[in-house]
Amino acid sequence: MQRQFEVTRRDGAARLGTLRWRGEELTTPSSFDSKEELEFLNASTIHNAELDVAVITNQEEYRAERIDADVVILGGAARFSDDPRGLTKALVRARESTNPDSALYAPALATPNNVSLLVYAGVDLVDPIMAEVKAREGYLLSAEGERQFDAISRSYCLCDACRGVNVADLTPEQRVAVLSAHNRQALKTELCIVRENIERGTLRELVEARCRTAPMLTALLRLLDEEHSYFERRSPIVRTATLLACSQESLNRPEILRFGERVIERLNKRDGILMLFPCSARKPYSRSRSHRIILNRLGKLRQFLHEAIITSPIGIVPRGLEIMYPASNYDIPVTGKWTCDESEWVIGRLTKYLEANAFDTVVAHVSGPYRKVCDEAAAALGVDLIYTVEDENILGSASLQRLCAVVQELIVDDSPKRRDLRFDYLQDLADYEFGPHASTAIFAERTKVRGLFPTYYASDGGTRIATIVGTYCTLALTIEGARRYLRASENRYCVHIDDFVPKGTVFAIGVLNADPGIRPFDEVIVLNERVIAVGRALMSGWEMQASKRGAAVAVRHVDAR
Amino acid sequence: MRTGRTSRRRYPRQAASETSGHRTHDRFAWTGLDLLNGEIVPSLTILLTTKGCSWARRDGCTMCGYIADSNPDAQSSDIQKQLFEVLARYGTGFKIAKLFTSGSFLDQEEVPIDARDAMLSALADTPKVIVESRPEFVTSEILDDVVRSNRHLEVAIGLETSNDDIRNSCINKGFTFRDFVRASKVAHSKGLTVKAYLLLKPPFLTELEALEDAIQSTHEAAPHADTISLNLCNVQKGTLVEALWKKRLYRPPWLWTAVEVLKRVKQMATIICDPVGGGTARGPHNCGKCDRQVVSEIKEFSLSQDSTSFTAACTDQLLWKYVLEFEKFSYGAPLVP
Repeated sequence: MQRQFEVTRRDGAARLGTLRWRGEELTTPSSFDSKEELEFLNASTIHNAELDVAVITNQEEYRAERIDADVVILGGAARFSDDPRGLTKALVRARESTNPDSALYAPALATPNNVSLLVYAGVDLVDPIMAEVKAREGYLLSAEGERQFDAISRSYCLCDACRGVNVADLTPEQRVAVLSAHNRQALKTELCIVRENIERGTLRELVEARCRTAPMLTALLRLLDEEHSYFERRSPIVRTATLLACSQESLNRPEILRFGERVIERLNKRDGILMLFPCSARKPYSRSRSHRIILNRLGKLRQFLHEAIITSPIGIVPRGLEIMYPASNYDIPVTGKWTCDESEWVIGRLTKYLEANAFDTVVAHVSGPYRKVCDEAAAALGVDLIYTVEDENILGSASLQRLCAVVQELIVDDSPKRRDLRFDYLQDLADYEFGPHASTAIFAERTKVRGLFPTYYASDGGTRIATIVGTYCTLALTIEGARRYLRASENRYCVHIDDFVPKGTVFAIGVLNADPGIRPFDEVIVLNERVIAVGRALMSGWEMQASKRGAAVAVRHVDAR
Repeated sequence: MRTGRTSRRRYPRQAASETSGHRTHDRFAWTGLDLLNGEIVPSLTILLTTKGCSWARRDGCTMCGYIADSNPDAQSSDIQKQLFEVLARYGTGFKIAKLFTSGSFLDQEEVPIDARDAMLSALADTPKVIVESRPEFVTSEILDDVVRSNRHLEVAIGLETSNDDIRNSCINKGFTFRDFVRASKVAHSKGLTVKAYLLLKPPFLTELEALEDAIQSTHEAAPHADTISLNLCNVQKGTLVEALWKKRLYRPPWLWTAVEVLKRVKQMATIICDPVGGGTARGPHNCGKCDRQVVSEIKEFSLSQDSTSFTAACTDQLLWKYVLEFEKFSYGAPLVP
């Protein structure tokens, strides 16, 4: 049967999609509107040749097989309206046990206040039932929560339903009519905002703001964050929007945890001298005033150093990854003070980073809260760091002088020297994107780096191997780079397609097999018996396999195999 | 299952206020007012602890937790003693006696023959004695024995609904409408009267389905029953209904639903209703503001059979109407706790 639902855009577990039903197209996430629509859907649960609808009746059941339907109804979802734990489990379980190209409908649960979180967790369809119930309980709903209508002394809302209404003059029926119209409108408005945020990839920022308005919603977000693999499997590897880390929950964002994991697990082990920098407001760090001053002062000494930046909330950013999301674009409230949670998290990241590598010496050019982080990590590991900042001023001439003197002193005749600092970016990105040792497989001794920051490219004897492409600053492989990677990689980041020559876009229906580790916007290799191609994934690998609809890979180059 | 009377441990305080008899009340017996041939008369309700309902011991109904009040070791003499102690305390001024066990009074396993006959003989002069039984014990044989001790017997049967699918799938009652009709015929043929208990809102039904089922059941049960007792489902400990309620998959009926049923079926039969636990989370309830008044109006109606008793109005009726119309679209959860 032809699928009636197609996902067109993803932002973590949230999706924009199109549901074809009753002769029209509904852009999701969306709310059903009329009773006829609800009746139509209800009737379709029995049998409907046009729309395939399934109901999950037992939210606690474990399912071995995925439910495959156009619309999957999470039956009885309203029971979780005050139960964040139950809701988290039910939503994650429902999403994980249905096909990715099924729309998930949570009936009688949505309010303007909670709908952004529902969508964030993976809900595609809601209805105005709870908004209507609240209207009859006397509540005026908004994205900020609910107010008892009678308790509102003056004009609170300027919507068409509320304008000019005097609470005291209304009969109970009129009051319900006003509240019902207002509440439905508020739900629709919030859904517009939600859709717009998914479009921009910033739903998480909206959700962190909305969850502040109710303990239940904050609990829900925190519990959802404990479902790390559920969200990580759906989170794009990069995005253009700036990550705003304004709350405690920001520390647990899937992309922040993933970045931390990959820095430890995927990058080459380093030795020699590590130099630690504080972060800067301007990104990438090396373009900031403070980093430019320090780096200029170090000059040629840099080739003896590995550089890493200490930052909240990302943790540790090796210099080569400073152009990679989220290190490349995030913003935090700067007060000069770190919260306990922030410090603890960054201390943990630094400790792990030092443990995972084998540096002989660590020079920390830091002050203030960064210094405290370094102290704690050093104490945890029982090592000594060399601090080079005097008078708490990282740009002071005494500090810079001391930094250079310390590094100079550490260098001995046979200290390992890096031939090209630009190579750091290519190497770190290759490992970060394609897994441990990818850089070793892709690049050779004689590989040359050219180009302007940050769009460097690598070539071997005139053949281009890989390029850092703009917009997202990911490392894209050429066909030659892909061939080299394939020799070592055993199908990682590979999408196997049916026997056709891909042009432009590969659709999910044409995918035979895909590495489940692929994430949206990953650079991938597309293969069949005849051709090899490179491109950018538009959905996760596991989703390419399970979906019947939607664009899977945007192809960049194709060549005969 | 027996409703239409108060559970011993569940609602002791409610029981006191519910029985308009007001005078005396303890856990096992209380006095009240009831309808007898169109007249309001004093009644005495006695709860007898037996070894428990035969069906509950074997399988059990989804909403009934009375088995928890039974005593597996209850002997014939214990049961008799309970009655005679109560009679000694309350005297014989009442016109109706209700002898309620945790199951079927006519089941010889539960109430041994000697106890049964002794108790019924003691109440031989009471104008009406009501006992409860599952239909399988309402047989020609047993009734012939029983009428020898007491000719003013009314047999109350927990029909719950006339719909066999609902009775078996949602309530797990284990008998059919035909069983009830047969039992009713036998009772009538022996000159006894029959009361049918109907359950308002078994689990797994929406509020509207429950409302329609109660009305339909009244239509179908009325020809076979002298009185219909509409029992509003409440959440008893240790039952499936309680498990569903705790998961927010069940809500006891709205009092408005009961009022609606009583208004719509009153011409068909004498229909009484005692909203046990009315106004509490575990019992039938409305918004909380109007509950007390609606409960007392329902009780008033039970005595007067006059639907002008119902005068209460509350803004939550708009919510209740919305629930009736839209609850099915939640696919399993009540819209309002």
